[in-house]
Amino acid sequence: MLFAKKKKKIDGDKHYVSLANIVGETAILYKKEDLVSYDCDGFTIHKSMPKAVVFPKSTEEVAAAVKYCAENKIPFLARGAGTGLSGGAIPLNGEVIISLAKMKQLLSVDFENRQAVVQPGFVNLKLTNSIANKGYYYAPDPSSQYVCTIGGNVAENAGGAHCLKYGVTTNHILGLEVVLSNGEIIEISENGIPDAPGYDLLGLLTGSEGTLGIVTKITVRILKNPEGKQTVLAYFDKAEDGSHAVSDIISAGIVPAALEMMDKTAIEGVEAGTYPVGHPRDIEALLLIEVDGVAAGIDEQIEEILKVCKQRNVREVKVAESEEERGKWWANRKTGFGAMGAISPDYLVQDGVIPRSRLPKVLQNISEISKESGLRIANIFHAGDGNLHPLILFDSRIPGETEKAVKAGTACLKACADVGGSITGEHGVGIEKIEEMRFIFTDEELEAQTKIREVFNPENLLNKGKLFPTPSRCMDVKKVIKEAAAN
Amino acid sequence: MLELKEVMDNKILADKRFGNTGLSLISVKSEEEIADVLRSANEKGKTVSIVSGGTKRGYGGLKEEYDVVLSLAEYRGIVEHTVGDMTVTVRPGTTIAELQNFLRKHDQMVSLDPSWPEQATIGGVIAANESGPKRLKYGSARDLVIGLRVVYPDGSVIRTGGKVVKNVAGYDMNKLFIGAMGTLGAISEITLKLRPVPKDESLVLLSVKEEHVDELKTFAIKVQDSMVEPVTLELVNPTLSKQLWDREAYTLLMGFEDVPNAVQYQEEWVRAQKPKEAVMDVLPANEAMDFWNRFANIAPNSLTDNSENGEVKANLKIGSKNMQVMDVLKEADRFQRQYGVTLAAHGGLGHGLTNAYLTGSEDQIKAVVRELRDFVESKQGYAVLKHLPFYLREELNVWGKGQSYHFLFEGIKRKVDPNNSLNHQRFVGGI
Ligand SMILES: Cc1cc2nc3c(=O)[nH]c(=O)nc-3n(C[C@H](O)[C@H](O)[C@H](O)COP(=O)(O)OP(=O)(O)OC[C@H]3O[C@@H](n4cnc5c(N)ncnc54)[C@H](O)[C@@H]3O)c2cc1C
Repeated sequence: MLFAKKKKKIDGDKHYVSLANIVGETAILYKKEDLVSYDCDGFTIHKSMPKAVVFPKSTEEVAAAVKYCAENKIPFLARGAGTGLSGGAIPLNGEVIISLAKMKQLLSVDFENRQAVVQPGFVNLKLTNSIANKGYYYAPDPSSQYVCTIGGNVAENAGGAHCLKYGVTTNHILGLEVVLSNGEIIEISENGIPDAPGYDLLGLLTGSEGTLGIVTKITVRILKNPEGKQTVLAYFDKAEDGSHAVSDIISAGIVPAALEMMDKTAIEGVEAGTYPVGHPRDIEALLLIEVDGVAAGIDEQIEEILKVCKQRNVREVKVAESEEERGKWWANRKTGFGAMGAISPDYLVQDGVIPRSRLPKVLQNISEISKESGLRIANIFHAGDGNLHPLILFDSRIPGETEKAVKAGTACLKACADVGGSITGEHGVGIEKIEEMRFIFTDEELEAQTKIREVFNPENLLNKGKLFPTPSRCMDVKKVIKEAAAN
Repeated sequence: MLELKEVMDNKILADKRFGNTGLSLISVKSEEEIADVLRSANEKGKTVSIVSGGTKRGYGGLKEEYDVVLSLAEYRGIVEHTVGDMTVTVRPGTTIAELQNFLRKHDQMVSLDPSWPEQATIGGVIAANESGPKRLKYGSARDLVIGLRVVYPDGSVIRTGGKVVKNVAGYDMNKLFIGAMGTLGAISEITLKLRPVPKDESLVLLSVKEEHVDELKTFAIKVQDSMVEPVTLELVNPTLSKQLWDREAYTLLMGFEDVPNAVQYQEEWVRAQKPKEAVMDVLPANEAMDFWNRFANIAPNSLTDNSENGEVKANLKIGSKNMQVMDVLKEADRFQRQYGVTLAAHGGLGHGLTNAYLTGSEDQIKAVVRELRDFVESKQGYAVLKHLPFYLREELNVWGKGQSYHFLFEGIKRKVDPNNSLNHQRFVGGI
């Protein structure tokens, strides 16, 4: 009897059998040894085991698995490629992980209307690769784009180096199919038609870190490759000059496609990494600047940029002479985080945002934090939009150093918040920055957000324990007073 | 409780043609005053309607009268402009023109081109999610708003987003209030990201006779597949083209905004590639700006609509797939002829939104709205009535057939405004 055979294979918890019936018995992991690789994501400081991992192949299977979990009050969460850097895909409550890894098709491309439809597990870079032959691309380009999924990008509202001119994920999402926390399937703007009457659920769901629903289909905007593109590399003896050059370029009325910065420690890392380009080691900062658009307009902008750099005492500035050279510079930049592994056993990436004009001051603060903590901090970041990535270098084998690194990270975020910035520009809050949410939001503002979660995720079974600090006592007291007044 | 002046005789209260009016009006000058009005109304179980420039009273709303009209028109001005960061924080009652004129002095702009810049306020534009043809290149309110302060119906003040151009801390709550028609709170402050004013601009107009209109579509596809980067790809029907430009022909408006070399290069490209039947005109920067100003004032609104003797004006906003805009315009013209209405229309071949401005008798308007709506809904699009006299709104259903997930909208409204005290019934499905 077939059924009995199945039953025998999947032993243990009855839920395993039921879930296997939904996704198929080859599409579930439940043994401890199989689950260990799902105990964390790109945020490796915290680890916690899931109950099981299922790999649905269709929206209907996702919906059935969700429905089962909801009915049985089993916590669950979605997972893409697991590259998230804030712990969003870490199971804190013994979740059933719903992996979208097998839903990885490109469903359709409509060049005439400039849109493509993908499944959530489709890898970011694959989209650009699939449409490049027609001269099109998908704009959001996180450095992890060769592995991370578009579903994960939607959940995190991922950014990238070229988001300065073209916007982040949310600016490119035209439609979503979503499985709600009770298993119901909804389609928002399935044809990618803008301004659908009603509240902007596309905007709300994008960046909600998998706490409002599981995205099972995505309609994205695709763009035509710009005709011309030029890339400039500028070396500055003083970090401050580099920072000022960033502001001057923007003030000159130029909207660069990308405007990236690296400091001395970061340069040491990338030069020791897999893609060195021979940057001088004794400079304090380098800028990587790209301008794109109609070819006839590019030279004049490049000249302006060169002029600005010279006015800011640049030591050396050059324009990429070939696509190959440009590619090398970008490979060096985009593998920057990982390259830190070459100069430090461990590193922690932070993700603060500041108003661009405060760059010199905040870089100064970060260098003080580094001194105080005794840990080196490398800075590789999207300078054009003020999105800093302090990389805190540490050695987890030394007792107490991990805690020190975490503390230094928090201090960096505080420095950003203190100048009117934010605690995260693209990596999300996850579990990592929950307490730091208080740097920028009041209890009331946090409550306004959790109330929205209650609409979508009333039982809080979906990705529980992420994003929001538990209400402070003061809030509880306020609530009691409010309720008493209402009665 | 602050001493707020409640007035009973005011032109907004007196003009009942578009509904959304009230028994009294309170004009506020600070956020505390907004909070005070909302809190006290909420506590007393009173209903509030929010108004600012007053251009959109014909846009949604099934109540002729609320208890109180809260006017934000006098809560205006720039709070903070950080030139180097290219961000501006502004109060809701500031008109679009006032804001743009201020920013222009610094060679910066808010890249939004909604209708009636002299009357419409930034608060109203954000609350109604208004945009113009240039959204093709620059996006719409949801791409530009980086932070808000919102007064909730209970009088508490919530900040959403922040003052930085990139931010993913918590939910992107900004999005909830953009286009919510004031049903979730009163927006008391808006922070926007800015762009540099382009160094040069021009407007290329390509006009063809009706029988050649399909060639404009082929051309538009070619444009999108090419290296040119127009800021608009707006197709105008002959009725509107005549009004704007005295040329009764389908006209494609292609704006270019870039450095002078690039603008010129793109004009030349169009000249070389355009359909041979098309007549081409190029307006240099000054004339282009004049043209867009005229363009921004063509839609009927509740301040300027003086229809009488049974004449009705309506504005239908239609959403379709980008290239379907062509079919929408053609159908609209067919109904124009069939029913004898005046129908001026334009739609963006790169962004999928069409606006049709109708003038006719009540019966004609009803017929054309129904026909056009049936047509676009059959293509999974939608049609929303952005301007219509109050007495026709319920019958014609301003927002169209609605969404299968409407219960989520209701859930959100219930959490934020459980007493339905704010702009009740102004939005989809009577929210
Ligand atoms: C080396 C490196 C470089 C990086 N560079 C960048 C960068 O430049 N810019 C940037 O923005 N990020 C960057 N990241 C972070 C990360 O790659 C992004 O956050 C990415 O969007 C995560 O995608 P993922 O598929 O790995 O998602 P996961 O890590 O699997 O999941 C992330 C979150 O999304 C949720 N989720 C996943 N799929 C779905 C779904 N279908 N529906 C609902 N929720 C879902 C999960 O529950 C979780 O909360 C980098 C990471 C690494 C390791």
